[in-house]
Amino acid sequence: MHAVEETPRLSTFLSQIANGLVLGSLIALIALGYTMVYGIITLINFAHGEIFMVGAYGGLATLTYILPTAIATTWYFALPIALVAGALVAMLIAVAMERFAYRPLRNAPRLAPLITALGVSVALQEAMRVFYPGATAALPFPNLFIEGAVVIPIGDGVVIRYVGILLVVMSLVLAFGLERFVERTRLGRAMRATSQDRDVARLMGIDPDRVIVLTFAIGGALAGVAGVLYGSYLNNINIDMGFQNGIFAFTAAVLGGIGNIRGAVVGGLVIGLVKALAGQYLPGGTAYDYVWIFVVLIAVLVFRPQGFFGESERVRA
Amino acid sequence: MTATATPETPATPAPAPRHTGRFARLLDAAAPRSTVLMIVGGVLTLVGGYLPWATFVLNEGPYPEKATLNFFVDPFGVTGFRLHLVILGLAAIVVAALRRIPARHRIVRGLGIGATVVALINGLWITVEGGGLGAITASEGSIAFGSIAALLGGLVTVLGASAGGLERKPVWTWKLPWWAEWILLVVLFVIVLLLVAAVLTSGGQGGVVNPYAGVVFLSLLAALGGAFAALNASGLLTWVSVVSERHRTFSVIVLLIVALLLPLTSAGTEYWMTVASNIGVYAATAIGLNIVVGLAGLLDLGYVAFLGIGAFVAANLSGAAASHIGIHLPFVLVMIISSVVAGMFGAIVGSPTLRVRGDYLAIVTLAFGEIFVRSAQNNIGGLTGGANAIPNIPAMGVGDFKFSDSIVIGSLRLPSGVLYYFLIVLLVAAVMLVFAHLKYSRLGRAWIAIREDEDAASAMGIRTGPIKILAFLIGAMLAGLAGAFFAHKTAVVAYDSFRFLESVTLLAAVILGGMGTIPGAVLGASILFVLPEKLREFSDYRLLLFGLALVLIMRFRPQGIVPDRHRKAELTDPDVEDVAKEGPGPLPTRVEP
Repeated sequence: MHAVEETPRLSTFLSQIANGLVLGSLIALIALGYTMVYGIITLINFAHGEIFMVGAYGGLATLTYILPTAIATTWYFALPIALVAGALVAMLIAVAMERFAYRPLRNAPRLAPLITALGVSVALQEAMRVFYPGATAALPFPNLFIEGAVVIPIGDGVVIRYVGILLVVMSLVLAFGLERFVERTRLGRAMRATSQDRDVARLMGIDPDRVIVLTFAIGGALAGVAGVLYGSYLNNINIDMGFQNGIFAFTAAVLGGIGNIRGAVVGGLVIGLVKALAGQYLPGGTAYDYVWIFVVLIAVLVFRPQGFFGESERVRA
Repeated sequence: MTATATPETPATPAPAPRHTGRFARLLDAAAPRSTVLMIVGGVLTLVGGYLPWATFVLNEGPYPEKATLNFFVDPFGVTGFRLHLVILGLAAIVVAALRRIPARHRIVRGLGIGATVVALINGLWITVEGGGLGAITASEGSIAFGSIAALLGGLVTVLGASAGGLERKPVWTWKLPWWAEWILLVVLFVIVLLLVAAVLTSGGQGGVVNPYAGVVFLSLLAALGGAFAALNASGLLTWVSVVSERHRTFSVIVLLIVALLLPLTSAGTEYWMTVASNIGVYAATAIGLNIVVGLAGLLDLGYVAFLGIGAFVAANLSGAAASHIGIHLPFVLVMIISSVVAGMFGAIVGSPTLRVRGDYLAIVTLAFGEIFVRSAQNNIGGLTGGANAIPNIPAMGVGDFKFSDSIVIGSLRLPSGVLYYFLIVLLVAAVMLVFAHLKYSRLGRAWIAIREDEDAASAMGIRTGPIKILAFLIGAMLAGLAGAFFAHKTAVVAYDSFRFLESVTLLAAVILGGMGTIPGAVLGASILFVLPEKLREFSDYRLLLFGLALVLIMRFRPQGIVPDRHRKAELTDPDVEDVAKEGPGPLPTRVEP
C-alpha cells in the first residue's frame, strides 16, 4: 500500500519537473531579450512580452492566411516557416518600437522611457485585439511538431510531449548560439562595449544606435521564436499571453543577474520549476502559482538584486 | 485703478525674425505679411463656420447643430462647433488687427491651433460617417466647403502667427481694490463651473443612442484648448493666478462652494453626478499617488491595490450580505479603518524601498499589485468574493437617512447621488489640503530632496528609509479612504476594478496632469476618466489610443499639462539642466567593485 502510493507521487513530481523545464526554457528565451536590452540601455522594456505575443500571432497568420494548407499541415515545412515568420514579424515590431518610441527618449529622465514602454505594451496588445481577426478570444494554434510523447515508465508514467522536448532543445541551442555570438564576433564585442560605456564605445568607432537596434532585433527575433513555440506547445494563443509571460521572463532575467545570458537561461528554468512545483505542492494550487512567482521576484529584488550571476551591483538613480 | 502693463518685449516690431527648423523658408517668406495672413486665416475660419459641412444627411440622422444640408433651412443658425469656429475666427481677426496688443502673434497662434483642431475633428468625423471622401464632394448641388475652408483658415492663421515671430508672454501687474478682485474671482470661478458643466454634458451620454457624443465632446475640448492657449499667451491667465494667489484663502473657499454648486447646473442629473463622483474617487487616489511618485519620486505600478484594499475592507465592515464578517459599523468608522488598513499595506509595500531603487522598485510594486489582484480573484480568506464580487453594499447613511436618496428643498429637487457628490468634493478638498500641507512641510521637502538625489539627501541628514516608507503609507491611506467611498457609492466591489491597467491609468493621470502638482492630478484624473465615458463609440480603440497617447505625452510633453513650478525651473535653467535629469545622463554609471 505504502509503495503504491509512493510511485504515483514520484511520477507526479517528475511530470511537474518536466513541465517546469519546458515552461522555463520558454521563459528563458523571452528573458534573453529583456536581459540584453536592459544590459545595453538600462531600460525595462515592458513591451518585450508583447513582442513575444506579436510573434505568435505572426506565425499563426502565416500558417492560416499565407501558406497553402498542404504545406501548413506538413510539419517539416510548416515549423521552420512559421518560426522564421514569427521571428521576422517580432523583429520588425521590436526595431520599429526602438526607433519611434525609445530612441527619441535616449537622454530623457528615467521615468519617461519606462512609461513609454508601458504605453507601447498597452498599444501593441490592443492593436492586436482590434485588428487581428478573431483575436478577442483565444485562438487555436496547431501543433507544428510531430504528435505524440515520450513516456517514461515510472509510476503512472511521466509523459513528455515531443514538442516540449523541441522547445527545450531549441531554447538551449539559441541561447548557446547567442552567447557565442556575443562572446566571439565583432558585433558581439561591439554590444558588450556599448553596454559597458556607450561614449567610449563611440570613440572606438562603434555606432551605438546601430548596436542598440541590433540588440532589439535579436531580442525580438528570439521572442518571436518563443511565441511560435508557445503556441505550438499550448495549442492556443491569446493577447494576454505577452504581459504575463513577459513578467515571468523579467523575473527570470533579474534572478539570473540582468545583462547575463547564462543567468537568463538559469533564471528561466528556475521560474518554470517554481511555477510548476508551486502549483502542485503549495497551498492554493495552480490558482496561486502566479503569486508565488511574484513572491520570488520580490525576494530576489530585495535580497539579491544582482541575481545569481551578477558580479557588481549597479547604482540606480 | 492702476493699470501698468509691462510687456517684456518692446512694442516696436522687431526686425524680420529669422526662422530655423523645418519650415524656415516658408516662415521667412510669410514674415512680412504676417498680419494679413492672420486676418485672412481668421476670415476663412469665420466663413468656414457658415458654409455647409456636408452634402448629405448622416446615417444616424443629422449631425448636431446644422452641420448638414439643414444649412439651407437655417442659413444663419450658428450653434455647436460652428459657433466655436466663428468665435475663434472673430477673435483671431480682432487680435491680429490690433497691433497694440502685446504678444498678439502668440495669442493668434493659440486661436489658430484651436480652429485647426476643431475643423479637423469635425471634418474627419463627417467624412467617415458620410462614407468617405467621395461623399463630401458628391452631387446634391453643393460641396462641403465648410470643413475645408475652416481647416485652411486655421492653418493660415497658425502660419501667419508663427511667421510674425512669437513674442514672450507679457507680465501684467494690475492691482485692483480688494473687493473688485474678489468679485472678479467669483465671476471667473462661476464661469469655470459653467464651463465644467458644459464639458461634462456636451454631446450628452455616449453610447449607442448617441453616436455623436464623443466627437462633440472632443470638438468642444479642442475649442476650449485653443481659447485657453490664447488666454495663456496674453498673460491674463498668469495674472489671474497671481490675483487668486493674493487672495488664497478666499479663492479656495469660493472654489469649494462653486464645486458644490455643480448639481444646480445642467450637469445636475443622476448620471452626471455618478460620473463626477467617480472622477472624484480617482482624483483623490491620483493625489495620493502623486505623493509617492510626484513628490518622493518612487514609481509605483501597483497603486490601485490600495484603492482596492480600502474598498474591500469597507465592503466587509458595512454589513453586505456576501461578507463573512457580518458587522455593520457606522460609515465614518469604516472609512477610517479602511484608510488605516490600506496605510498598513502601504508601509509593507513600501518597505523594499529600503533596499531597492528606481526601476527595480517599480517592478516590486507591480508584483505586489499583481499579488493583490490574484488573491482577490481567488477570494482569499473569503474576503473578496472572487469572481462573484461583493454585491449589495449598503449605502452610507445615518439612521433612516441614506446618502443615495435624492433631496428636495422647496421647489428645488436635487437628483439622487448628489449627496455622494458633495461628500466626494469634500473628500477631495481634504485630500488636497493634506497634500498641500505636506508638500511645503519639512517632510515634503525631504521627499523632494530624496527625489532629486537620494544620496545627497541622506548626506544632508535626512533619514531616507522611514521617510520613503511614510510616502507609501500616506499615499496608501488616501487611496484607502477613496476606496471606502467607492465601495459605498458603487455598491459592488469586484477585483476586476483594480487591475494593472487601472494602476497605469492612474499613473498616466498623474503624469498627464503634471507630477507633483494638485491641479495636475485632478485635471489628469478628470480627463482620463471622462474620456472613456464620452468616447463609448470608440470603445474598441479606447485602450489603443490610450497606449499611443502615453507614448506621445512622454515624447512631447513629459512635464504634463500643469508642470510643477519648482521642476520647471530646474528643467529650463541651463545651469542646472544636467542635474535636473533624473538619470546620470547618457552614461550608465557603475560602481566598479
